[in-house]
Amino acid sequence: MKGFKHLLMLIIIAFPMLCTPITALAANESSSTSSSATNSSQVASDDSLQKIKQKGTLVVGMSADYPPYEFTTKENGKTKYVGFEVSLAKQFAKDIGVRLVIKNMDFDSLLVALETGKIDAIISGMNVTNERKKSVDFSNTYYSGDSYFLINKGDKDKLVSAKSFNGKTVGAQNGTLQSTLISKEMPKATGKGLAKLSSLVIGLQSHKYDGVLMDAATAKAYAANNSNLYAFNSKLPNTAGGIAMAFPKGDTSLVNAANQTIKKVNKEQLINKEWIPQASQYMKSYKKQNTVLSYWRYFAKGIKYTLIITVVSVICGFLLGTLFALMRLSKNKFLHSIAVCYIEFLRGTPMMVQIMFVYFGIGAIIQSLPALLAGIIAVSLNSGAYVAEIIRSGIQSIPLGQTEAARSLGMSKNETFRYVIMPQALKNIWPALGNELITLLKDSSLVSVIGVSELMYQTQLVQSATYKGVLPLFITMIIYFILTFTLSRVLLYFEGRMKHAH
Amino acid sequence: MPTKMIEIKNLQKKFKNNIVLKDISEHVDKGQVICVIGPSGAGKSTFLRCLNALEQPTGGQVLFEGQNLIGLNDKKLDQLREKMGMVFQGFNLFPNMTVLKNITIAPVKVKNIDEEQASKTAMNLLTKVGLADKAQQYPDQLSGGQKQRVAIARALAMSPEVMLFDEPTSALDPEMVDEVLKVMRDLAESGMTMVVVTHEMGFAREVADQIWFMADGYIQETGEPEEFFSHPSSPRAQDFLKKVLK
Repeated sequence: MKGFKHLLMLIIIAFPMLCTPITALAANESSSTSSSATNSSQVASDDSLQKIKQKGTLVVGMSADYPPYEFTTKENGKTKYVGFEVSLAKQFAKDIGVRLVIKNMDFDSLLVALETGKIDAIISGMNVTNERKKSVDFSNTYYSGDSYFLINKGDKDKLVSAKSFNGKTVGAQNGTLQSTLISKEMPKATGKGLAKLSSLVIGLQSHKYDGVLMDAATAKAYAANNSNLYAFNSKLPNTAGGIAMAFPKGDTSLVNAANQTIKKVNKEQLINKEWIPQASQYMKSYKKQNTVLSYWRYFAKGIKYTLIITVVSVICGFLLGTLFALMRLSKNKFLHSIAVCYIEFLRGTPMMVQIMFVYFGIGAIIQSLPALLAGIIAVSLNSGAYVAEIIRSGIQSIPLGQTEAARSLGMSKNETFRYVIMPQALKNIWPALGNELITLLKDSSLVSVIGVSELMYQTQLVQSATYKGVLPLFITMIIYFILTFTLSRVLLYFEGRMKHAH
Repeated sequence: MPTKMIEIKNLQKKFKNNIVLKDISEHVDKGQVICVIGPSGAGKSTFLRCLNALEQPTGGQVLFEGQNLIGLNDKKLDQLREKMGMVFQGFNLFPNMTVLKNITIAPVKVKNIDEEQASKTAMNLLTKVGLADKAQQYPDQLSGGQKQRVAIARALAMSPEVMLFDEPTSALDPEMVDEVLKVMRDLAESGMTMVVVTHEMGFAREVADQIWFMADGYIQETGEPEEFFSHPSSPRAQDFLKKVLK
């Protein structure tokens, strides 16, 4: 029986290793067989284009905080994705006759999302590099830009070239060409990376960084929209082959189709002549109504999803918790071991990792798993482990005499648990459960990493849309506080009522 | 010929290496009041708890109305326990329920008696134990003696055929002992079969039909109270009585 416990532990630990890396491994293997994707005359023998056409949608992943490439604006209170790459994606979808679906996520999550089939293509200012070629197939390039420094205007005279950053701190978005450039070309500067460009710009404004290295068009856009910022050419060598669309390895027919579109776009110079000016229009037009409060609908949507995640996860977490608490207290060694493994594993791994694992890992098996559902599953499972321990302590806090009295009256085990033990246990553990509930509400913000429109995610949208960093954060902090404070009052009210009934 | 209600055959109980009950064979007749007395650590409480299988014996048999309790499945055991009321030293009232609810919960949930009928019965029982005015109070608002009287009423609400008392007055302040003993005396007079583990020698002498004297994991001797208290036959009993009847 003891050996069984070890075996179970092993299975649980081995499970994650079994599912994700296999896809990664497969991608690596095929990289040696198919060569450069920039060759448009490749023979397409795969059915990737066919599949896209059959499903009728092209799912494109992008990190939409990168004006003028892709960014969000609002139209009639709804979030709308704009930018020249959005125009390009639309054109591509139109050319192959399908509907475009945009998935907004962190830049460094894009490759995983592509590998696990969450998205069909990446169109997100992604530079062609040899390393990336190992895991994806690139289309032909459609744009190439130099890297620019974005700095505070006050430092304009001090910081004039890449060299002037020696001994200073430079930020870049994780996973971008620019973050590689800093580590390779600016060895005397300290490089800092974050997932969101908008967060980096906030850091710049609060002097956490002396400069942020980014793509030229984006740097210019920020400088144009914020009079305190200034952009200049880094003149760092452009080692990359330009910007291209990325596709899963082996999707040759899809790459060929993309190249058709890019060929046309390049020939007509659509990007420089039409799409970038259009994008600039959007940037100007929302500059006018750029107050954070005019984005209240963003916050409202965020609150709605935060509450949905919290309520559903609390209910599921409580049911799971009760189940696993009973299993842990069970005399059946098999059930007991399962419960112990579940509780220890879920408590012993970070929630952020669990959320991403459910979305990308389990999502690789069940392709259609929506991010919201993945988030709820992860948060419920996590909460279940903590609730299980709370409930177990509650049950064990009830004196044995209560059970004996109930059993001596002829009550069954179930009746004893339901009518005698659980009501008393619940009263004892109420404050601890309340704590867990409040923690859960706050922790639901972690679900933003997989792109669920809850409060934190919406805040990031507002940040990048308004070019303001601190105010949206402050508003969000207040909203979270109002939510948790209300909740703790409600819990206190019920605690009081349970006391009165004594 | 009186009918045997409980029959104990070669009962044995071990806790790991500690043998608490060594070899006990006795029986309780219908309507009989048995008082189990003896020095502490003799195994009296364990013995009583084996009678309704709160404690699983490690050997022998306990027959209730001819049915062996040992190794019985949970459902059958629950049904038999309905007929065996038990009163504990520590009362074990349910602190989250009113006095009335404490008494009605088992009849309502186990016997499916409707709430109204159960409340009526409960009020009758509360009147009998002199606590009708406490029906809506919670256990922690009652004194020890009152709690124990409620506990007796709670056990009686299931209309048991035998009542087991596990040192019912040991946790009480001295001035509250009598009110509980009075209720028990009334119960005995009404013809209830009772097995009482007690240190109240006066009560045992006056109310019991038979005294079972326990020491060292055995029932050392049994007898009618007058006989036992005036001429105990075993040296263990003589020694014990010398100490308690100073």
